[in-house]
Amino acid sequence: MPENGQESGTQSEQAAKKIGVYLCRCGGNISDEVDLQAVADSLKENKDVTVIIQDYLCSSQGQEKIKKDIEKGKVDRVVIGSCSPKMHLETFRGIARDTGLNQNLLEITNIREQASWVHGKEGIDSKVKGLIKGAIARMSSIEPLVPIEKKLVDRVLVVGGGIAGITTALELADGHEVILIEKLPFLGGHMIGLSKTFPTLDCSQCILTPKMVAVKNNQDITLFTQTEVAEVQGSPGDYSITLKHSPRYVDIHKCISCGACAKKCPAGAIFLPFAQAVPQAYMIDMSKCKQCGDCVKACPRDAIDLEAKEMKSTIQVGSVAIATGFEPFDLSVIEEYNYPAPNLLDAVEFEEMLSAKSKTGMRLQRADGSFPDRVGFVLCAGSRDFTGRGKKYCSKVCCLYSQKQAQLIKKMKGDAEVWIFYIDMRSSGRRFEEFYHHTQEKGVNYVRGKIAEIIPKPDNTLMVQYEDTNLGLKGREIFDMVVLCPALIPSPGTKELADKLGVPLGDDGFIEEKHVKLDPVSTLNQAAFAAGCVLGPKDIHDTVTEGISAAHKISQFLGKGMILIPPEKPVIFECNGCGESVKACPYNALSLEKGKAVLSPLACTGCGICVPACPIKGIEIRNFSRNLYKAQLRAILSEAPGVIVFIDPYAYAAADIAGVNRKQYSSLVRFVSVPSIHILDADVVNAAFEYGAVGVMLIEGTTDEKLTSRSDELYRKLKKETRKHKKPLRYSHIETAQYEKLTDLLNVFALQAGAKAEKRGKKEQAETADDEIKE
Amino acid sequence: MSNKIYIFTNLHVFSCTMIEMIKNAIVPESRDLAFRDRILKTDVGKKIPTCIQCGICAGSCPVSHEMDYTPRELVRMVQLGLKKEILNSNTIWICTTCFSCSVRCPREIRPTELMEILKPIAVAEGIKNKNSKFDRIFSDVVKKTGRASEFLLISKYSLEEPGMIKQAPFGLSLIFKGKLPLLPDKMEGTDELKAIFEIKASETKEKEKKEPAEKTAETEVEAGK
Repeated sequence: MPENGQESGTQSEQAAKKIGVYLCRCGGNISDEVDLQAVADSLKENKDVTVIIQDYLCSSQGQEKIKKDIEKGKVDRVVIGSCSPKMHLETFRGIARDTGLNQNLLEITNIREQASWVHGKEGIDSKVKGLIKGAIARMSSIEPLVPIEKKLVDRVLVVGGGIAGITTALELADGHEVILIEKLPFLGGHMIGLSKTFPTLDCSQCILTPKMVAVKNNQDITLFTQTEVAEVQGSPGDYSITLKHSPRYVDIHKCISCGACAKKCPAGAIFLPFAQAVPQAYMIDMSKCKQCGDCVKACPRDAIDLEAKEMKSTIQVGSVAIATGFEPFDLSVIEEYNYPAPNLLDAVEFEEMLSAKSKTGMRLQRADGSFPDRVGFVLCAGSRDFTGRGKKYCSKVCCLYSQKQAQLIKKMKGDAEVWIFYIDMRSSGRRFEEFYHHTQEKGVNYVRGKIAEIIPKPDNTLMVQYEDTNLGLKGREIFDMVVLCPALIPSPGTKELADKLGVPLGDDGFIEEKHVKLDPVSTLNQAAFAAGCVLGPKDIHDTVTEGISAAHKISQFLGKGMILIPPEKPVIFECNGCGESVKACPYNALSLEKGKAVLSPLACTGCGICVPACPIKGIEIRNFSRNLYKAQLRAILSEAPGVIVFIDPYAYAAADIAGVNRKQYSSLVRFVSVPSIHILDADVVNAAFEYGAVGVMLIEGTTDEKLTSRSDELYRKLKKETRKHKKPLRYSHIETAQYEKLTDLLNVFALQAGAKAEKRGKKEQAETADDEIKE
Repeated sequence: MSNKIYIFTNLHVFSCTMIEMIKNAIVPESRDLAFRDRILKTDVGKKIPTCIQCGICAGSCPVSHEMDYTPRELVRMVQLGLKKEILNSNTIWICTTCFSCSVRCPREIRPTELMEILKPIAVAEGIKNKNSKFDRIFSDVVKKTGRASEFLLISKYSLEEPGMIKQAPFGLSLIFKGKLPLLPDKMEGTDELKAIFEIKASETKEKEKKEPAEKTAETEVEAGK
């Protein structure tokens, strides 16, 4: 057996290891809950290990200490007990690089997000001791590897043609090739549908149109409208993306927007979206078109093709910028607003009425065409709601834009009455409080209180009922028009796109930043970046800032020319040519050559699905081998029995978010990272049970269907093969956003597994007692 | 409005002699933290600290204009622990339990159930006003007959609340028109009903004794689910 050979080898090597264990107090974040000294004391017996406890290991002082120890030869392998590796692994790997230590010989054990922040003091010390021992066991037989280099494709796909996408594309175009796609038939996104912009009241079209024209004229930018991402293949740095182009029925390159077609059309189906639209070309609304063909005959440039079909094309890009923006929340779910009703608008509709996209000739009017003399604005419609009906977050821009709209109404008609119903007036930002002051001066009536009910009247006026909370009095008013300022939610399709790119979303549906404060436009996919409202509601200023930032990050990423991909790939040391692993690989990374399986490392994602597929156990993933897992499990469980949770990187991120939110769960839980749960077979799971796990969970977070479609099968197989232990085994799929579901699951499972183990313990005790009596 | 609480920011007003003259001010003595914590520990109370004072509860309430304090103000007063004002207010008795506030509250605070928690406390504290009297008499009548007899209710209430005498002509005309039957309709097995009330009362008492221990155990189980 190859396993035995390896094990004896590692044992003989082990004697020479000098493992440095660095435990971080994190300014009390860890040390307030975990007795680090006790953890250090428990490691005293191990002669290979030196333990150092320090505050703020990530600081230059802390880093310097590790660096010095390595340089002096005191340690040649490093285990760090600190925050999540997602937070600081790169920081510490920097030390490794500086000192010439192989990066694999430094690992982080997460004792903050997955211990001190989520457990009380009970049971936490033995958990941390176990985790650190597990990491030491793993570290002592890890092999140093060199990352694989891959060439980058110097081309960027920008998804979304709003202000965020336009800014990103224009900033990038100076040096990189850009493909900009937009779902709608024209550029500009929501911004082109704005009338004026706060706090300066400059016209939105006036500042955006030049940028849209610049996109069209820039030679480095290829623009596709009515286009969406259909499929993503390949890996970061080298994506092959299939685009789906919906038909416009008018060739944008031939159309000169002369309008001859529109004059002839009997149904009004062919039109120019709006005067400043980019691309400047007519389009056909097929729901109205009668297929009479008059427009085709009328067109002097032969630009119209009524038979046009949906098309697909494939592009090669190295990086993707996600700038898909927002949409207003559907307010019809909030019954008391009785939305939609005549003269009851959401703010986006109100805004568009006064913008370039206006259907009323930029005139503010009610359903019957009259000017509204009394207008009410309702802030926080569907926002700041923790009941699950609306959205929890503040939509950030409503306070300001409602005031802007109020000012516009006052400007149109000085004696019009405008009421703004608010809960808290949030005008933090440069020039914003002054703007608020200015609106007050204009005579806008502010009421502190949320509208309780809007009742449409037969004469198309609207009665609202509220409490003026400053006075503690109930009130009732009748308005000609009421504008609801809705919560802003990610635009439809954000999740599908994010899933295709392997980018996790937060529980609010917006894209999760790599670091919420320090890396705000990067995502967990190193080649995908985001900008604008897809990262949360924000104003134009912040969106543009993010667009520029994303462009900078992408430029930096592509500028390297190379990408390092993790070296943890399968190694095939024995093969009988049966082809099982080749069949199992969903990425076509394995092939049979001359009767042996051969790996193409660039196509391999390192998921490990080939490992259990090989019937003779001839494949192992480097540094994730069965023996390494067994050694780690034995050490983790040597302190106290626990629940072993095998967790993939996506679900690991969910556990981290749970930690950041301080969601408490049982300290029985011990996470063991796996590249994907498909690397596991009965060998490893049985080992966990043998070493004292009271239960085993497999938590999968990836949204890659190639893997998730096989999870049930894996679970059933493992369940069958580990039945003899009579201990609970469970599988669950948790997306990164579902951290609350994760902690609930962990709690329930730990409770059940713990209870079961206790029952068994009692039974065994009773049996032994019985035996004693018999004797 | 006169019985509402005013916060005086003017420091001059807060001289010791003035305090006794001005009852309408929040001073440390008016806050009962034990009372506050008792409410906040309950299932309903847990959400009370998250109130954003949006007023949707009071705006939705069909009777908030009759209340001393609107539901929103009541929640704020619980946050502060203004026991005396809360228990003496008519708010908790006037609530019609229509649940509009509970359905619409964006922070899942359930003012209706808060009132239900406050009522027994007010009774236990021996607080009497015309609204609490009405409630007590109503439940007494139901306990005795198993039915809500309007005649018994009105006559008993009139005895305790002298102002009701003004309504006498109206009551008489109701009686003459046969809208107010004099003999109470009685359900069968009122003994059993009585027993039910007694069991419930003793259970509540026991629960109150055990409360702290039980509550924590319950919440733990819930978290486990």
